[in-house]
Amino acid sequence: MTELFQYIANGIVSGGIYAIVAVGFITIYNVSKVINMAQGEFLMLGGMLTVTFISMKLPYAGAFILAVLLVTGLGILIQKGIIANAKNANPVSLIILTIGVSILIRGLASLFWGKDPFALEPLTSNNPVSVGGVNVAQQSIWVILSVLLILLGLWYLMDKTMLGKKINACSVNPLAARLMGISPSKMTMLSFAISAATGAVAGIVIAPLSVTAYDVGVLLGVKGFAAAILGGLGNPLGATAAGFLLGLLESMGAGYVSSGLKDAFAFLILIAVLLIKPTGLFGERSVGKGGL
Amino acid sequence: MNKDKKFRKGILVYLLIVLLFPIVITDDYYQSVGVIIGLHAIVTIGLCLVMGLAGQISLGQAAFWGLGAYTSAVLTTKYGVPPALGLVAAALVPGFFSYLLARAIAGLQGYYLAMATLAFGYIVQIGIKEWEPVTGGANGIIGIPSIAFFGQSEMGMYYLVWGFVTLVLLFSLNILNSRVGRAYRAIHKSEIAATSMGIDVREFKLSAFVVSGMFAGISGGLYAHYIGILDPQPFGMHESIVFITMVVVGGMTSIWGALVGTVIIELISEGLVAASHVIPGLKGDIDTIVFGAILVLIVMFMPEGLVPRIRAAYLKYQVKKSEYPQQKKEGKTVA
Repeated sequence: MTELFQYIANGIVSGGIYAIVAVGFITIYNVSKVINMAQGEFLMLGGMLTVTFISMKLPYAGAFILAVLLVTGLGILIQKGIIANAKNANPVSLIILTIGVSILIRGLASLFWGKDPFALEPLTSNNPVSVGGVNVAQQSIWVILSVLLILLGLWYLMDKTMLGKKINACSVNPLAARLMGISPSKMTMLSFAISAATGAVAGIVIAPLSVTAYDVGVLLGVKGFAAAILGGLGNPLGATAAGFLLGLLESMGAGYVSSGLKDAFAFLILIAVLLIKPTGLFGERSVGKGGL
Repeated sequence: MNKDKKFRKGILVYLLIVLLFPIVITDDYYQSVGVIIGLHAIVTIGLCLVMGLAGQISLGQAAFWGLGAYTSAVLTTKYGVPPALGLVAAALVPGFFSYLLARAIAGLQGYYLAMATLAFGYIVQIGIKEWEPVTGGANGIIGIPSIAFFGQSEMGMYYLVWGFVTLVLLFSLNILNSRVGRAYRAIHKSEIAATSMGIDVREFKLSAFVVSGMFAGISGGLYAHYIGILDPQPFGMHESIVFITMVVVGGMTSIWGALVGTVIIELISEGLVAASHVIPGLKGDIDTIVFGAILVLIVMFMPEGLVPRIRAAYLKYQVKKSEYPQQKKEGKTVA
């Protein structure tokens, strides 16, 4: 029984990260119909930059904030400088474009930091907390707390504030939104900023759990993409649920079947779900039908 | 000049270059680059059918390549099957898998399809890594017999590989210029319109996937017998992206483009390797940076790719040359 709870605890931690990445994908997708394959790179950069700033004798909080700000700036830069200039591209070209951006960032990171992994100090001590025989690293608790905070914050932003209503308006009908005095291009930029910032935070909080390196973004990004598709592209709640589900399945599969196959489980489940329900578990939120 | 004549002229130039290359350039290293270009071209021509004609993206092409390589390698090393038969299996097994995958995901489009092929690529690579009794796991397979063709020389392998490239090329060009090709292009433009014209979109997408899977498999099989050793490393997402880069650079909608793109990217790749030996500070993934930049720049500034762009420029030049002043005047009045 303890074993099961241990797997569940591990699954929730990694699942939370997948959920954040997935919601990052969807935040951008809903407004601009772009899937940003460079999403995982935001996580990698968050972790790596924090490590670098701390090694430059900056306090933890300062390094954290500076890293998030820099990654957010990069997100805006990518949207303004690259994505916005390829407006007429079809989905296939957009995937290719953002894959290009992602491997470009990864390559530059390998040039700058080298290929060796780096360790980031946990926020609080290294000693695990034991709850009824289930060992949880203290950092895992920080991860869960930040995941919940980010998801709650995003929900509040999107559902309760005027800004969120503006972003939603653009995702439903960009033309109508523009007629109401909302700038779709500004909202698109904002969506990139939000998903870059949340991605960077996620990247920083998980870095102490393992090591961080120039290429950790690939798998995190792909798993997040998988969660977004599994939940139903465009549906943030579905993506959150799917993220946790993927994390749990992976942890169970690794525990009970084979740890070597860990990464394969998520993808097998994904293909199986797409077979049965091609629009994901919770269906794509029907938006944009009346749009351009 | 009519289309047929032009087509034949293109093929002739192609054959001349391909046949003369190893006779003019006798250096083993350059000949081996020629072999690798040919192997990659077989994959990219197939990928071009999927991306350019059927308008679908496959982020897992390296998986089919790997399936082909491992099929032939396992059959020849473990069961003593002759390499020629191994090659046949190398085409059939990935073909079968791509049929299954395509059947499963034929209803998918855009991002869903991209994710499904990406997931498939990961599953295959992990499968190869984990199925140790058969694939040797991370250690891989060694001692794969080479194909005896003209006494196992670099040149013999070159001609064998380019023989396959030529077959694959002619087959694909034929598809492009037939009813089937027109159907593909219709699907690329608009699936709904194509369906309403009586084209079975599902069936066409499926066949494009199967053919491209088989091409990748053949190339993988040849690769295994050429290299002699296999490990799971080269069959991951990185290689899939390299294949996509090759197709995109040359031009997704052009079979010749896939070939040209493969040559260009392969030469850049070799150049970077050579440069890294000369310039000591060149660590890190320089090729990743270069390929990433190429992908971004091409989609931003030349989304149609190199070959269609050059073809359009050439046509424009021809029109200009043949324009009489009189016609120009007429054109103006019409405009």
